[in-house]
Amino acid sequence: MGEKKDVWQGTLALMVLKTLQAMGPLHGYGIARRIEQTSGDLLIVNYGTLYPALLKLEQEGYISSEWGVSDNNRKAKYYKLTRAGRKQLNKEERDWEQTTAILARFLAPGEERS
Amino acid sequence: MRRLRALFSRLGGAFNKKVRDAEFSAEMESHLAMHIEDNLRAGMSKEQARREAIMKLGGVEQTNEKYRERRGLPILETTVQDCRYAFRLLRKNPGFTLVAILTLALGIGGNTAMFSVMNSVLLRNLPLPHPEQLVHLTLPNDQPPGAWNTGDGDTSFSDPEFEALRQERNAFSDLMAYVPLAAGKTPVRIGQDPEEAAVDMVSGNFFSGLGAGFSLGRGFAFEDERGHAPIAVLSYAYWTARFGSKNSAIGQTIYVKSVPITIVGVAGPGFYGLDRGNATDLWIPLQNRPELNAWGNPPSMNTLYGTPKWWCLRLIGRLQPGVSLPQALVILDPPFQRAAWIGVPDADPKNFKPLLALVPARGIQVVRDQYEQPIEVLMAMVALVLLIACTNVAMLLVARNSARQREFAVRISLGAGTGRLLRQLLAESLLLVGAGALLGWFFAVSASSALAAWSQIELPFSLDRSVLLFTFGISLACAVVFGLAPLRNVLSASANATLKTSNAPSQRSKRSSWAGKLLVAAQMALCLTLLLGAGLLVRSLRNYETLPLGLRTQGLLVFGTSPLNTHNDDEKTLFYQRLVQRMRAVPGVEFVTLLGNRLGSGWSDNNVYSIDGVKPSGSWEQIGMRSNDVGPDFLHTLGVPLLEGRDITDADGRQAPRVVVVNETFAKRFFPANSPLGHIVGGVEAEGPFTIVGVAADSKYTTVGERARPVLYFPFSQRSSVSDMEVEVHTSGDPLALIPNLRVALREMDPNLPMQKPLTQRAVFDESFSQPRLFARLAMFFGLLAALLVATGLYGTLAYRVSRRTSEIGVRMALGAQRSRVLWMVLEESLLVSAIGIGVGLPLATGGAHWMRAMLFGVAPGDAFSFMCALLGVVFVALVASAVPARRAASVDPIVALRYE
Repeated sequence: MGEKKDVWQGTLALMVLKTLQAMGPLHGYGIARRIEQTSGDLLIVNYGTLYPALLKLEQEGYISSEWGVSDNNRKAKYYKLTRAGRKQLNKEERDWEQTTAILARFLAPGEERS
Repeated sequence: MRRLRALFSRLGGAFNKKVRDAEFSAEMESHLAMHIEDNLRAGMSKEQARREAIMKLGGVEQTNEKYRERRGLPILETTVQDCRYAFRLLRKNPGFTLVAILTLALGIGGNTAMFSVMNSVLLRNLPLPHPEQLVHLTLPNDQPPGAWNTGDGDTSFSDPEFEALRQERNAFSDLMAYVPLAAGKTPVRIGQDPEEAAVDMVSGNFFSGLGAGFSLGRGFAFEDERGHAPIAVLSYAYWTARFGSKNSAIGQTIYVKSVPITIVGVAGPGFYGLDRGNATDLWIPLQNRPELNAWGNPPSMNTLYGTPKWWCLRLIGRLQPGVSLPQALVILDPPFQRAAWIGVPDADPKNFKPLLALVPARGIQVVRDQYEQPIEVLMAMVALVLLIACTNVAMLLVARNSARQREFAVRISLGAGTGRLLRQLLAESLLLVGAGALLGWFFAVSASSALAAWSQIELPFSLDRSVLLFTFGISLACAVVFGLAPLRNVLSASANATLKTSNAPSQRSKRSSWAGKLLVAAQMALCLTLLLGAGLLVRSLRNYETLPLGLRTQGLLVFGTSPLNTHNDDEKTLFYQRLVQRMRAVPGVEFVTLLGNRLGSGWSDNNVYSIDGVKPSGSWEQIGMRSNDVGPDFLHTLGVPLLEGRDITDADGRQAPRVVVVNETFAKRFFPANSPLGHIVGGVEAEGPFTIVGVAADSKYTTVGERARPVLYFPFSQRSSVSDMEVEVHTSGDPLALIPNLRVALREMDPNLPMQKPLTQRAVFDESFSQPRLFARLAMFFGLLAALLVATGLYGTLAYRVSRRTSEIGVRMALGAQRSRVLWMVLEESLLVSAIGIGVGLPLATGGAHWMRAMLFGVAPGDAFSFMCALLGVVFVALVASAVPARRAASVDPIVALRYE
């Protein structure tokens, strides 16, 4: 299926996985708010795009979901990492570090000249 | 892996939509509620909090839509929609749908059936391990002169050849020999009832070398071959039919020609033996007993297994892995050349060059030689029929789709993409092709079993995987053709996506109407080719049917007998003499005679006899002689005119001077100047000499289609070995009505004596061209089918064009055009198309006729009469198809037509 390997799409998935690792089971709204906060409000997350991303992760088996009750006694769907999700997160983290390291090397000499 | 998992999960997501929608709504609701709560806490007003939350989400509907797209497979959903819509449309138009599906089913079914025959006979590998290693050994130059042969000159080898070639382990891992005990079936007995079975004698390594498995018991070993062990392996089918699949069959005794033989094994299911259209029932090791001689030949010194001069063994080898056919030939040729001359030491190497060939074992060998070209020709014919059928349906579709131009325009202007529209049309064609293929498959299943029955091939024409693949392939090809057809409609619809015109413009694009005409012309060309092919084959059949046989078949009945409990030639002669006497006494019988080979059965004895002590020299074509052993009064009984001398009589017995009757061709070839009476034939061999006492007119011996050859008729009682004889009975009444009386008479002689294959002599000769008859009928069927398809295609095109031009015709008539002028306008068009079709078709048809030359009998490929018939047929089709549309055009009422606008 011709999924676009959009950078944003890819990073959003990574952020979701990382958030779930850090926070434990969490509902969609909570994930969205957490990503926003972590980015220091530099990122404006369109909350609507989060749900298809969550669905995709679930279809791929990286996260699972179940209905639960929130702190405010409200019914909400909670997402949590699966074992496959944890492995995938490790792998993506490494990949991402590698990519940034390479990019950093490219960008470093340019800074010297200026 | 993950992608696959996601794909399955999405496939699942396409179902149970309502529940999933509700769940996501609940999730959205809780999301918004939490967000609004937070916003309220941050100090917003109720209204503001709600707006902010929805804005942040990016719209509830939009989110829903995106979520749904991710959840299911959008392409799947629209495809299902397309199919549902296409199905509705097709159902709304049952006439069109029915015609299209039936046309396709005929085309696809016919091709599938023909291909399944071709697959079984020509292509399929034997059901054995590594079938690609198996090769038949053949003799393109036949056997050396002077060898005793079976008439299967190019497939039978001598025992010394077999022994020499089987040593060549570098070429063959195994070389197997096999030979039938009779041309047809052999008398066998299990328990009390005499019956017949197809029996093959085989070498010890037959089963192990072929790799044939066993359901039960064991096969043969080398010692069984050397010791001529009286043991047998049954075929699975025979075991099932005769022994009810009981294990107790092993160890039982089966009497083959009264010789007791012990059953030791049952072959695996699916192994029908080699090389013949009929399945083999049981196998025994190679035997040297006179009763069990190859081909049921009368035992003599010359034709017993092991006699170096007797070329009777069929050979099949298993190539060593990695050895190619040419490599194997290089290894095999020297020993083959050496062994070829064993047994015929006096033959002249200058006159003959032994030649060995290896043929991959595929299909059914004997049948393959005979059927290869006819099947290819018929396959080509049926493929042309499919082509015509496809163009027909394509034209129907195009015509119907151009009538839907307005619908397309509406849909495009409402925002449908070209791709979506095309997909919609493709769904329709796929549905049609799918239904056609399905129906065609069922059609093919019954057609191929009917074909198997007609062609008298006993083996199952099972529809195996390659047939299935073939059908799938041609269906796919059809679908592509129909996929291309609507493309043009769609493109032109998008090019002028206008809703402006009400009726079709009379100035329709010239190009598209030309394309239609060219298609019809091409169909005409194909139709002409098919009609010519059919015509030529039917003419050949007529020739077979009307060819003079040189004998009177009316009132002639023939049946076979094998004497039981006769141990030598004297006893056998006595048996047949008594038989003739007994038959003569049956009420209604006028004359009785005996024949060694049944006339018209394809069998004959072939040899070269010396004349007055001198062996004629020359090629087989020049000097080859046929002979038949005959009983008393044979010329009289068969109604063959006697030209000179006398018939064979009762007096020509075992002790009387040896005599022979020859035919006219014999007399003319070897005694061109004087009478052959009194000259001596034979005498060099163990038997003879025979004095020529009569000359008979030429008559047909092996088949209706044979060319005249020198033939000798020996009194059966004077041969050194008496074979099993056929009894010919002549009556003035209905020959078949005699059978019960004859049976009673036979039973009186010996209760165990079976009456083998009683038939009228005419029926035997008719059977000798059953194959051309089958081909002629099939070809005629294909030709008529093609004509019918072309007629409907042309009719459809013309009718459609006339209906599109109704207003134009109305205008013409209003301006004073005569009705005859309008009539001619339509006819002219169809005649023009036919003329183009004929122009293109003539070279095509001529080429086709030359290609099938070998199938023709007494007709030249350029036969003027057949050409005329085919041409007239095409013109007739064109006229019939255009008659109705032309009349309709001529009867257009100008007032109505113009008001219609």
